[in-house]
Amino acid sequence: MFDKSKIGQSFAPFTYEVQRNKIHELTTAIGDPNPIYHSREAAQEAGLPDVPISPTSPTLFNFWGNRQRGSSLAEVGIDVSRILHGEEEYEYIAPIYPNDVLTGTTTLVDGKTRQGSGGYTMDILTMETRYLNQHNQHVLNTRATVVVRN
Amino acid sequence: MTTQMQAKVYAEDVNIGDDIPALTTAPVTHLQLVRYAGASGDFNPLHTDPKIGERMGTGGIIAHGMLIMGFVGQMLSDYVEPQALRKFGVRFKGMTRLNDVITCSGKITEKYEVDGEVRIAGTLQAADQNGDVKVSGTFVAAVPRRNA
Repeated sequence: MFDKSKIGQSFAPFTYEVQRNKIHELTTAIGDPNPIYHSREAAQEAGLPDVPISPTSPTLFNFWGNRQRGSSLAEVGIDVSRILHGEEEYEYIAPIYPNDVLTGTTTLVDGKTRQGSGGYTMDILTMETRYLNQHNQHVLNTRATVVVRN
Repeated sequence: MTTQMQAKVYAEDVNIGDDIPALTTAPVTHLQLVRYAGASGDFNPLHTDPKIGERMGTGGIIAHGMLIMGFVGQMLSDYVEPQALRKFGVRFKGMTRLNDVITCSGKITEKYEVDGEVRIAGTLQAADQNGDVKVSGTFVAAVPRRNA
């Protein structure tokens, strides 16, 4: 069960360098054939400076960038192996392109424990991550809600 | 942001109540989930190891919720440019299993102006071949005027 006193706590910042090939890999796994995600030339032909991030590319920053994700969750009393994803939300504030270096800071913004129907309890936690780029420009907010069955 | 891009959809062409062109994906495969795990960095074995799925009581492996959000994202960036998205959020409502065929759909619910920029907002959904909803969500995007 998570520790309520940790609500409001921010974890150590992490950095992630945006890579063209990761955007290609992610959209390939999804099955999205849009050429602007797969080649810089195609993106430039479409009038963009480089391959843009796809709508769910922020998941790359959260998983590959935040290597201490598991230990951060353990720190607030969450068993990572019991997590189910409840909600995911992105606020795109400014464009992000390959070679941008993002710094993310994750904060546990909300948490509650609910009684489940099977006699067990569930923790519902919401984490927000705020991303700045290499120019200290605020470019992205992500918000994830996870459900942990105790 | 300056861009000489040809817009996919212009403010003048979008009306409240419009449907976003739907997207139906190929059946979800085990290989796709392995590929998605490697690409996204989410290696929770619930999505790749059938034994873990059995033990967790999910009846075999289940897809990453983020893969389904990815399908919805594909539909969205086929409709507006990816850089036009301002907000995109979903709630995960049901588990997706192997061989499920997901259809994404959406509807425009609002059109308004913020700081001289025309924005559209809408609702989103992804459901399987039986109509069971996997994901529901909302988005906001900026759309250019035709003669901007």
